Amino acid sequence: MKKIRTIIFVALLIGILFGISGVINHVYLKKSNMVTGREENLAGLQKEEDNTIDLLVLGDSESYTSISTMMLWKEDGISSYIGAQSGQQIQETYYMLKQALQTQKPKLVMLETHVLFRDNAGMDAYRSVMEENAMYHFSVFRYHNIWKRLLSSNIGDDRQFFKGFRVRDSVAPYDGGDYMQETTVKKQMTGFVKNYLQQIIDICKENDIPILFYSAPSPVNYNYQKHNTLIEYTENAGIPYVDLNMMTSELGIDWTKDTLDHGDHLNIYGAQKVTKYMRKYLEENYNLPDHRGQQKYKDWDVLEDQYEKRLLTLKV
Amino acid sequence: MDKLLEILNEIDDSIDYEAEQALIDDQILDSFGVITLVSEIEEAYDIELEAACIVPENFNSTQAMWAMIQKKIEEK
Amino acid sequence: MAYHTTLFLFVFLPLALICYHFAPQKWRGYVLIGFSYLFFWMNSKELLAYLIGTTLLTHHIGIWLDGLTIKEANAEAEEKKQIKKQRKRVLLLGIVILLGVLISMKYQNFIGLNASRVAEHFSIRYSFDPVAIVLPLGISFYTLQAIGYMVDVYWKKIEADYSLEKTALFLSFFPQIMEGPICRYSDTADTLYKKSPLKLENLQHGSLRIVWGLFKKIVIADRLAVVVKTVFDSYADYHGIIIVVAALAYTIQLYMEFSGAIDMVIGTGVMFGVKLPENFRQPFFAENASGFWRRWHITLGVWFKEYIFYPVSVSKIVKKWNRYGRKNVGKYWTKIVTSAVALFPVWLCNGIWHGPRWSYIFYGMYYFTLIMIGILLEPIRKKVLQTLHINPKQLWYRALQFVKLMVIVITGELFFRADSLRIGVRMFRSIFQDFQPSILFDGNLLNLGIDNLDFMVILVGCMIVLLVDLMKEKKVALTEKLEHWRLPIRWSVYYGLILAVIIFGAYGEGYQVIDLIYAGF
Repeated sequence: MKKIRTIIFVALLIGILFGISGVINHVYLKKSNMVTGREENLAGLQKEEDNTIDLLVLGDSESYTSISTMMLWKEDGISSYIGAQSGQQIQETYYMLKQALQTQKPKLVMLETHVLFRDNAGMDAYRSVMEENAMYHFSVFRYHNIWKRLLSSNIGDDRQFFKGFRVRDSVAPYDGGDYMQETTVKKQMTGFVKNYLQQIIDICKENDIPILFYSAPSPVNYNYQKHNTLIEYTENAGIPYVDLNMMTSELGIDWTKDTLDHGDHLNIYGAQKVTKYMRKYLEENYNLPDHRGQQKYKDWDVLEDQYEKRLLTLKV
Repeated sequence: MDKLLEILNEIDDSIDYEAEQALIDDQILDSFGVITLVSEIEEAYDIELEAACIVPENFNSTQAMWAMIQKKIEEK
Repeated sequence: MAYHTTLFLFVFLPLALICYHFAPQKWRGYVLIGFSYLFFWMNSKELLAYLIGTTLLTHHIGIWLDGLTIKEANAEAEEKKQIKKQRKRVLLLGIVILLGVLISMKYQNFIGLNASRVAEHFSIRYSFDPVAIVLPLGISFYTLQAIGYMVDVYWKKIEADYSLEKTALFLSFFPQIMEGPICRYSDTADTLYKKSPLKLENLQHGSLRIVWGLFKKIVIADRLAVVVKTVFDSYADYHGIIIVVAALAYTIQLYMEFSGAIDMVIGTGVMFGVKLPENFRQPFFAENASGFWRRWHITLGVWFKEYIFYPVSVSKIVKKWNRYGRKNVGKYWTKIVTSAVALFPVWLCNGIWHGPRWSYIFYGMYYFTLIMIGILLEPIRKKVLQTLHINPKQLWYRALQFVKLMVIVITGELFFRADSLRIGVRMFRSIFQDFQPSILFDGNLLNLGIDNLDFMVILVGCMIVLLVDLMKEKKVALTEKLEHWRLPIRWSVYYGLILAVIIFGAYGEGYQVIDLIYAGF
């Protein structure tokens, strides 16, 4: 009797947590700006209408500072979304993809490769996996601080959220010169990273989604050793790979103007150059549909308008 | 026994020593009370109480104290 | 890995429980030792050797002492004296080795640096290079337990332990290795060695206690930690009432965090059917400073009382003084001197035990001074109360005592938390510079790293803890009472507590995981 009661107690507890998580996912996250900060892009997925995103970009801050979703929309009508967190770890990439696939059927997944070189290993990595797993199934753990937003009055401030892309216009030049000096040395990925990367690739395969690796230009985060590793990995796995660090002059990156923080991230000017190149690449290699003018995508135009206005305020 | 009660009452006369069974455990006697008590008992009965004797069981009640004193006198 | 981490609560502890449950009874002790050593290893790696070394030494000294005791009982009078001396030497050997290891690891740099400072003062050529030392987990706690055990065997309070398994269990039991409570052998060794099977009831009670501890730690303490860190890290930017707020915040943080951690520790013990001693008894309801210390970190205070205070107060020299003093200077002064002599080492050790810093020594001396003043003024206080017909149990008098105690404790914790004694003094003095209570209400508090909603949570959380502590003080058996409530109400309380921790916990984005403070001592 006591045993049964305990089981009921635990089951009910799980039910309550599940219920609260459901309410958070399906009611609160649908409203605007309930979550800001690191999990903004993950929470923002809930706001997207089902099956409207064609291009899903995954990665850390290198991804949301390099691909302008609004430019892709304006020029080609590609609906893209950046599923990134600052300092994203590979297991977070994995759960970001799983979360996205719950409501979306992307036609292409692009992975910014900097996440592959985090030193995830050991006890901490597995602890984080456990926590990510719990947060994935019970979002109350991830978004528990939402009660503050519910109680405070400043809900609905008009922060602009451009499908995961962040407009940043400050400039802090990089003057370190050439950072891609050829070598045969390789910077290894940890076994933990490889394991999760394989799972990500497998999920894409199961869902018939092609995957594309790219490396955003970043003197601070990239070098030839990483390039070697990525070339080897993508060749073995048969995955297309674009290393933009190898073609910064072709892109027209000007390190005195196009970086936000001395070559760590690109600013809006750098992002525009990268996106311009990637547009062409996507056009040549993938047949992503043009959604402009479609009823379902009306709010994309509104957002794009705001984006243009935001660009006009830039210092240039 | 009377001598012991006399000593105890001198330390604090608001306590009903003959009834209390947990003088230490209930913190009726604090550590300063205990050390005063020890030196008074030593003088009154001409015995020596070492650190090992100072356990709650020996000081929780007058009976316990009395038993300890008897034992020490015998050992002398 | 500490007790409030997900790794411990959702992996380590369940695994330990499962293995313990399914192991045959006679292997359970080894399962516990195995998990305890694993816990130690995960925190301190190869420094586990220190714990094992201490265990072997303690075990051996115990048996050695016991052997001599038996020999003593059968010996002639002349031989007896010899053996007595020998027993003392054996005990001293054990204590010297254990304290030697503790001192050389924990205080080496402190002693060396201060020695070189003194040398410099006398222009002696001596320089000391501090060495980077990583302390084994819980060395300050298990060393005291080991010494307590040896002394108890020496005093014949307990019999020596002939089972190495039992000694190892007593010293390493993972719930208490990290920050106490400091257990007596007679408190825990037997129940640990019983290896009784898990009981559903124990698991329930234990979990409830753990969740309660988590509530104090994650909901209240970790929020306050932000405020405390903000002010103490850039102390030069703050003065006046903000310093008082920070010291108060730290006092509450420390209480919630330490007593919360102990709740988790005791709860974990309960799960295994082990009753660990309580470490807190509503300290802020004490009447005065010494009363506070009988209710705060109780097991440390008890240890000092048993192994320092009493031995010093019944030592030959103090006894001699007692006899001399009573004849020549009267009872009052005899008591004052005796108390001072016995209390000084207690408070010196209390200060130093927390770590090799002058501010901790100051902290110990601060309480020594206050308690001595209390003893000095005791007759006057009694007289005043008598002549004015004041009943010390009256509410206004208790309230006055409470305010006085809070001032004492908060001032003490200010020095305790400050990064050095010099900074502590500076912060204390800056309280009186431009002291404006109005700052409390003009929004300045919201610049300390947390917002008004956080303050609300802290406030409500503290009220709940206060309510529970009040009931404990009134000796209401809360958990038992809860069990007699109707099921829906009871379950609502449990669910409410769990959800409060999950929703209002200061974890995840925007907060940092805060290490256990006392694990650092």
